[in-house]
Amino acid sequence: MYRKQVRRRRAVLALLIVGSFVLLTVTYGSGSNGLQRGVSTIFSPIQSVADGALKPARDLVNWFDQTFDARGRNSRLEDELRKAREDAVGAAAALAENAQLRKLLALDRSGAIPSGYEPVTGRVIARSPTVWFSDVTIDAGSGDGVSVDDPVVNGDGLVGTVTAVTGSSAQVTLIADHSSAVSAKVVPLAVQGVIRPNVGDPGDLILDFIDSTKHVHKGQAVVTAGWRSQEIESRFPPNIPIGEVTRASIVEQEASQQVHVRPYADLRDLDLVQILTGGSRG
Amino acid sequence: MILTPKILARLVAIVVLGVLLQLSFFSQVAIFHVSPDLLPVLVISLGLLGGTMTGAVTGFSVGFLLDCLLVEPLGGASLVLLATGYLAGLFRERFEIHSPLVPPLLCMGLTIFAEVGFGAVELMLGVDASVSGLVVRDILLKGVLAFVLGWPIYLGLKRALRPALVDEHVVRRPRRPTVLGA
Repeated sequence: MYRKQVRRRRAVLALLIVGSFVLLTVTYGSGSNGLQRGVSTIFSPIQSVADGALKPARDLVNWFDQTFDARGRNSRLEDELRKAREDAVGAAAALAENAQLRKLLALDRSGAIPSGYEPVTGRVIARSPTVWFSDVTIDAGSGDGVSVDDPVVNGDGLVGTVTAVTGSSAQVTLIADHSSAVSAKVVPLAVQGVIRPNVGDPGDLILDFIDSTKHVHKGQAVVTAGWRSQEIESRFPPNIPIGEVTRASIVEQEASQQVHVRPYADLRDLDLVQILTGGSRG
Repeated sequence: MILTPKILARLVAIVVLGVLLQLSFFSQVAIFHVSPDLLPVLVISLGLLGGTMTGAVTGFSVGFLLDCLLVEPLGGASLVLLATGYLAGLFRERFEIHSPLVPPLLCMGLTIFAEVGFGAVELMLGVDASVSGLVVRDILLKGVLAFVLGWPIYLGLKRALRPALVDEHVVRRPRRPTVLGA
């Protein structure tokens, strides 16, 4: 009797392990499947309700964390403020000059979001619990016009791209995810590279493949490059802010340098995001 | 664990509620810049209460539901969490839990094991980027947070599944003998 029970247990365990490997083999790299879309469709209204109901409790816990954090940031911010005041005077003059140049060039750009894109607002309703995946689920899906590869931004800058869509929800892979790669350029130098994540540290991105003869400095802004060739085009429109340069290491023998970038968007604390639907991607 | 339809329904509810709570609350709060991971703690507690099979099956189910809702490749989280639940159940079957510190300590140790397991699965599938040393700090902090969550979750589940637990002695107040003719 006991032996039979042990044998049955071992069989169940083996079945579960084999089942996991089979599922992993079948579904890896194939995007969302019918089962996941079905489960997601059933659970996304419940998740939306749970997300709304738990928001006050979440805010309370995050408030404690942010209060501790704020004490450490205070002195650094005071230094930054002093420098920002100095820069603001120069920036005001540059803005006036910029406005004149824009008129001259007949550029009519209202902001960071380029024309042809229709922004759809979504709220983050779930996010991955492990440090290995950096993706979130939002409550806007194909029913709202969202489709795979749409860029996602928030008020601060680029957040990521849509990688899977169901009727009422979508998975957004953040720029801090290990699978992410965004073509970007440093302004005003206009040198181009590829933004890659530093897995486990969403506050640090790496701008790779930057020509080592170009001197990149701390504080310079990094925006999407938005390249276009005859047949293909970047999934990101140009000039969406990504972050600012924190460190640039030049190795003498290397042809390219690694530039560390702090993203403008706080990828750990996302709430409302905008999905740039439509556009001219072919 | 004695599985009746009622207990099975409770287990399903616990799994669904746990995954929803993780995605809607725990994953979106930060304590020292780290989000607590409730799911390994849940699976470990169920393994400690129900044994290897309960731990493995609930671990697989929690991982499967998580992967479905996060639209991740299916099977990765299931594999890690079923191993975690199985190890917790094995501990329960081999050793007696004498101290109240055992469940939280086990939650801490096995949560670190689960987080390393998630990393191993990811590396097995190919991480095409540099890995920051902060990953180690995050994993250790998740272990500490699991220690804090371990005891209340273990006690809560013990209470919810009390009718099904084999080792649970129901403490009854001795009945006073009825005095006849008083």
